[in-house]
Amino acid sequence: MIQFDQVTKRYPGSDEALKNISLNINAGEMAFVIGHSGAGKSTLLKLIAAIERPTSGTVLIANQNISKLKTSAIPFMRRRFGLIFQDHKLLYDRNCFENVILPLRINGVAGNEAGKRVRAALDKVGLLHKEKVMPITLSGGEQQRLAIARAVVSRPSILIADEPTGNLDASYAADIMAIFYAFHQVGVTVIVATHDALGMSASQNRVIHLNQGILTTEGHISKGIPNS
Amino acid sequence: MSWFNHHTQAMKLVLARMQGNKTSSLLICLVVAVAMCLPGLFYLGVDNLSTLTNHMQDETEISLFLKLDTSNNTITEIDELLAKNSAIKHYRLVSKEDAWKDLQAKSGADSAVKQLNKNPLPDAFFIQAKSVNPAELEALKTELQNIPNVEHALLNSDWAKRLSTLLQLGKEIIFFIAILLAIALLVIIGNTVRMQILTQKDEIEVSKLMGATSSFIRIPFLYAGIFYGLLGGLLAIFMMAMVIGFFNYSTSQISTLYNSDFRLSLFNGHLLLGIISLATFIGWLGAYLAVTRSIASIKIN
Ligand SMILES: Nc1ncnc2c1ncn2[C@@H]1O[C@H](COP(=O)(O)OP(=O)(O)OP(=O)(O)O)[C@@H](O)[C@H]1O
Ligand SMILES: [Mg+2]
Repeated sequence: MIQFDQVTKRYPGSDEALKNISLNINAGEMAFVIGHSGAGKSTLLKLIAAIERPTSGTVLIANQNISKLKTSAIPFMRRRFGLIFQDHKLLYDRNCFENVILPLRINGVAGNEAGKRVRAALDKVGLLHKEKVMPITLSGGEQQRLAIARAVVSRPSILIADEPTGNLDASYAADIMAIFYAFHQVGVTVIVATHDALGMSASQNRVIHLNQGILTTEGHISKGIPNS
Repeated sequence: MSWFNHHTQAMKLVLARMQGNKTSSLLICLVVAVAMCLPGLFYLGVDNLSTLTNHMQDETEISLFLKLDTSNNTITEIDELLAKNSAIKHYRLVSKEDAWKDLQAKSGADSAVKQLNKNPLPDAFFIQAKSVNPAELEALKTELQNIPNVEHALLNSDWAKRLSTLLQLGKEIIFFIAILLAIALLVIIGNTVRMQILTQKDEIEVSKLMGATSSFIRIPFLYAGIFYGLLGGLLAIFMMAMVIGFFNYSTSQISTLYNSDFRLSLFNGHLLLGIISLATFIGWLGAYLAVTRSIASIKIN
């Protein structure tokens, strides 16, 4: 599903954020990307989501080379992903319902069908009763869940979350992780970047460990968390 | 269907935003209206005058004013001369007494005319030529001018021609003014849309991240530009109707004095359609330029 072959990413005017990364994530897998701050976790996710292009090497998503994609084709590639950002990127000038409906508008889904899907997504994250509420009045955990609802409403096959539990307390973070597991369970590919091991012990999950842009260890939780 | 949905949604969104921002929306429409209204009114004025003069140019009347001290015998001689002239279709004599009476009857009781105690008017012949050819008319005029005791032969179309070239010049000046105003409008609408894009920056960024195409992002702003232009154009026509109504009212008195029914008419279909479509086009173009430049500058990360 997702293939990295000797991928290097250098931002203009800075050092290499990723160095010679080769990896493979299969459809339906749940993978964690871990590492220190500045290790290149966000960069890895951005390459997957076609937000950034590699400096060298190839990134293949569903057998399509991201670097060779025409600019006009990129929006359609992005629609395969549900993205959850560290800073939510919610729109604070509209209520929860209107935040969640945005991806459906982009996908050309409208009317009753859209309303139904928005409510189903809000229900999945336990925010159905907050449909008409403005996001600014939600707690940090609720905002994160709203962001998840927005990411899943268009039923993407790949869910990508950048530090979704970043500044939440443990019980909220466990809630969020449980939601990701639920999507993984129904066959969605889930990729989560995180700097803590929270929630990872639950089952055998793929771990991609980055250290200063270098892929240090790849393995599964059950084989032991790589010590960092 | 999704294309249609997208457009109707964008329109609804833009109209809602404009409603939420009534004052500034009204202001920009007003700017468009004034900029369209000014050249529109000038054009209408010039156009109305030139249809008037075009009409006059078709007239082939030559006025023959005699010297003030012309005797009745001489008048009879000239009359015979005119009767023999084969280039003349018909003619009539208006004696100075008749002209004087006519003038006094037409002017008000306390007008300057009544203050005169001597008739200043000459005897005159009004001649209708057979030909409408300007060169032949000119020749006839010169011929008539050379009759003894003729003070002045006047081809009525002469001054109409001069006025019409002036009006043509006026039209060209209006054209250039209109171009300058159109450029100013383009800049103003472009700036307004650019400001809107800046306030929608977050939404644009998030939409891009979620796979929105550039046309999806662009369309609401293009509609904003189109609506500004369209509403501004309609407002311009409304303003023109007001100005013309006022003009016609205040000139009606002068017009009756000159025995003329000259009125400015707004109902120039081409002009109305032209104003509305030009305003809409300028709105669209200003928005298009702004949106193309600004959206590229909004980076996602
Ligand atoms: N847009 C950018 N321009 C320049 N340099 C960047 C940019 N984004 C990231 N970097 C650099 O690339 C390196 C990796 O950044 P990245 O954001 O991928 O790290 P991270 O692992 O997500 O860190 P964190 O845990 O703090 O989010 C860092 O050194 C960072 O300074
Ligand atoms: Mg990061």
